[in-house]
Amino acid sequence: MAQIVAGFGVPHTPIFPFFVKRDGPDCETAKLFAAQKQQLAAARPDVIVMFDTDHLNTFFLDNLPIFAVGVDKTFTGPNDEPREVPVYTIPSARDLAAHVRAESIAAGYDAALTQHFSVDHSIAVPLHFLTPDMHVPVIPFFISGHVPPLPSAARCYALGLAVGRAIEAWPEPLRVVIMGSGSFSLEVGGPRMAPGRSDGVPDPDWAMRVIKLLEQQQIETLIKEATPYQLLKAGNVGGELLNWIAMLGAIGNRKPTYIAPQMTNGHAYGVWRWS
Amino acid sequence: MAIFTVNHLCREILRDHAFRAAMKADPVKALAPLDLTDEERRALLAGDVGTLFRMGANAFLMAYMARFEVCGLNVETYNQRMRSVKVDELGQPAA
Repeated sequence: MAQIVAGFGVPHTPIFPFFVKRDGPDCETAKLFAAQKQQLAAARPDVIVMFDTDHLNTFFLDNLPIFAVGVDKTFTGPNDEPREVPVYTIPSARDLAAHVRAESIAAGYDAALTQHFSVDHSIAVPLHFLTPDMHVPVIPFFISGHVPPLPSAARCYALGLAVGRAIEAWPEPLRVVIMGSGSFSLEVGGPRMAPGRSDGVPDPDWAMRVIKLLEQQQIETLIKEATPYQLLKAGNVGGELLNWIAMLGAIGNRKPTYIAPQMTNGHAYGVWRWS
Repeated sequence: MAIFTVNHLCREILRDHAFRAAMKADPVKALAPLDLTDEERRALLAGDVGTLFRMGANAFLMAYMARFEVCGLNVETYNQRMRSVKVDELGQPAA
């Protein structure tokens, strides 16, 4: 049977590949991703399931699912031209993706289907740092975290639980890593940007609170406090926390190996590993 | 739903390189065939992203106008104009 072997929470800031190329392997971002890359390699994943919020690039305002699963043998990305990131062809696991989607629907989470798709920086940037050879198949599970109304944190956690059960019911002996992509407090291109920047961190206290609750394994409190109001207060992409919450549902309530904050960006690098 | 056209053309600036070039070269002409209200067209051509935001345009789609420097925008002017929009605690335009 397939087993879930680790959980990761990853940032996806689109300018990071440019900064790392410019500033070299000793800059903070390079080191934080390098540490996660090492942890990921040690977890020996056969497949990665990534909870992700698309930035109106895979989907758009003409057709915007709350939940969706990418089901195909491969997909491409990034489709939104972040600097210094090539357009990768990323392998996937079509049969397992279809199974995860079917079991999610059976459990009451009506995930839309997307095939022959591309993804944006929110998937491609973390993979650019963590699996640059693109040798590990990735299944994207999209959660609408930017365009209100957002799904509730409780529902995303329960969705994660259902996805975890679906994976552990899969007959192949695969090692599966679950990832959640995104920030805790961030405003991109909106009025709450910092002066002279293209983004800002409107609610750093909330970002710290999230990190503390993750470290203390207080998931129920996190779910209770991550109201739609709080997520919007945290910035126009504050709903990306839902991807981390779904990841936590899939791996079970566990203590993180570490959470490394990067408060200038309102996000963190999280690793959950166990035996 | 006309603001949809604004949001969509912002993404086309990213996706459609011919449209991006047309918007840089002659935005009046590039926007001419699009189904925009007079107010939307005026605000777009003036790079008045604050007004567009108050009309419901999406912030990170409009940021493509700054990134690709169309309608007189760049990262700096975009930042100043967006930051001058008064917003409530949730980042929505204040009444």
